[in-house]
Amino acid sequence: MSGVILEADDLHLRFGGVQAANGASLKVAANERIAIIGPNGAGKTTFINLCTGYLKPQSGRVVFNGQDVTRLSPRAITRLGVGRSFQIPQLFLDNTVIDNLLLALSAREGSWSPFTPMLRHPKAEEMWALLDLVGLKETGNRIVRELPEGMRKLIDIAVALALEPKLIFMDEPTSGVSSTEKFQVMDTLTRVLDARATTAVFVEHDMDVVARYANRVAVWAGGRIAHQGTPEEILNHPEVRETVIGVGV
Amino acid sequence: MPPEMLLLAALDGLAYGSLIFLVAVGLSLIFGVLGIVNVAHGSFYAIGAYVAAAGVLALGAAGLPTWLAFPTLLIAAALVGILVGGLVEIALLRRVYGKEEVLQLIVTFAVFMILEDAQKVVFGVQPYFANAPMNWLGTVEVFGIFYTTYQLILMPLVALAVLVGLRFFLRRTSFGRAIVAVTQDREAATAMGIDAARVYLITFIIGASLAALGGALASATTSLTPGIGAGTLVLSFAVAAIAGLGRIEGAAVAALLIGLGRSAAVYFAPEFDVLIPYLIMMVVLLVRPQGLFSTVQTRKV
Repeated sequence: MSGVILEADDLHLRFGGVQAANGASLKVAANERIAIIGPNGAGKTTFINLCTGYLKPQSGRVVFNGQDVTRLSPRAITRLGVGRSFQIPQLFLDNTVIDNLLLALSAREGSWSPFTPMLRHPKAEEMWALLDLVGLKETGNRIVRELPEGMRKLIDIAVALALEPKLIFMDEPTSGVSSTEKFQVMDTLTRVLDARATTAVFVEHDMDVVARYANRVAVWAGGRIAHQGTPEEILNHPEVRETVIGVGV
Repeated sequence: MPPEMLLLAALDGLAYGSLIFLVAVGLSLIFGVLGIVNVAHGSFYAIGAYVAAAGVLALGAAGLPTWLAFPTLLIAAALVGILVGGLVEIALLRRVYGKEEVLQLIVTFAVFMILEDAQKVVFGVQPYFANAPMNWLGTVEVFGIFYTTYQLILMPLVALAVLVGLRFFLRRTSFGRAIVAVTQDREAATAMGIDAARVYLITFIIGASLAALGGALASATTSLTPGIGAGTLVLSFAVAAIAGLGRIEGAAVAALLIGLGRSAAVYFAPEFDVLIPYLIMMVVLLVRPQGLFSTVQTRKV
């Protein structure tokens, strides 16, 4: 495959008696939109955690842009250009939206200042532009706690995008989002990813979302990527329909 | 009761309250962020005082100009905060975060005992007196009463600067916001890549430096003897408890309350001198157990 930017190769991880990853491999090419689907509790988040440094595999390796990142810290991996958002947005609820972005940016760049006000961060304008791109410019000065879940999801993703990653892992970007907001969130997201030429890998349960927004689907089963292909191939695959999607053919 | 006495008591209370505020706000900050009640805080005050006094005496012995004593006080406080505070946090405290409170108390108490004896070894048990900075600033006359400029103006100004500076630092700057963020939600902070271990270390150093600054300022006004740390610690606990632990502005008001209460007792009912701060604390806690300025809240785990 040409233009591979991330390769997870034969990852193994066992917690106690659970084989969470058992030979998991995935190649991600530039500008792909890969959806990972699979049963609940099967370890899809574990796979993301392994790729982003939050967990270390017992064997196997993760290579990003030609560099082995398997043993690097999440911070180091983020700085290389791999972003990540969480299933439950990890935001400071009592702070404003723009403060969250600036805190994340300062943390990732290490650009802390004990003297100048944070709102005068040299990149504050860029963060406002990012919020504008996500369609949240008007909410920049609002407290996160007051905002609905769909917006928090977008803010969490904006936080991940603050450092201009080349690749972003998103853990269920539409979970907790109402069905009316869902497509809106995904449309915005796709627009932003396209605008920034960011590659994305996302875990998703909603097959409508998968069919509409992914250009490749990977099926997680038994601690590894068991099948992969275009959305059409995978969503019509009899075994996948039965085990993952939960409807017989 | 002569009105000059009342004025004198008020001025004394203001100076004393400023000093206690510096120590208590450091204690409160450390508790607010690290969740640790730091018994060794009194030692930072005492060591700050001794190091500052030693520095000022050395300046005098070397025949250097007296005004250099003021930067010396600041440098002494920062050095004690960074070296002693940093060492305590790195070597001991980071091993007990999140453990039982009893264990944390025992560890900080042990540090306090060790540092008390270390002071005697290093500085001896003879009183230290280095009042050159206070004399150099002279006196001011307030309604016919002469008062030292150092106590009437410098000490409250330093306390005010610390209050305003800390508020600005914690509310506006990215570094301060990161400290508050870690206090509110450690998980989210870690997810955003904020280095919580570093935040803890720096907070502890700031808190320890504030206690040392209190000691350094006090060193010019009083003679230093073993045991000064313990007395100040207990008073700053009272202030922090009255304010509600972790409240900065509250600590300022409570310190002023205790300072004024205590000096009123010294002038008008000397037998209650030691008792008054605790009476104030008791009354406040009976009415508002969470402290004057705290709102009851559950800490997010």
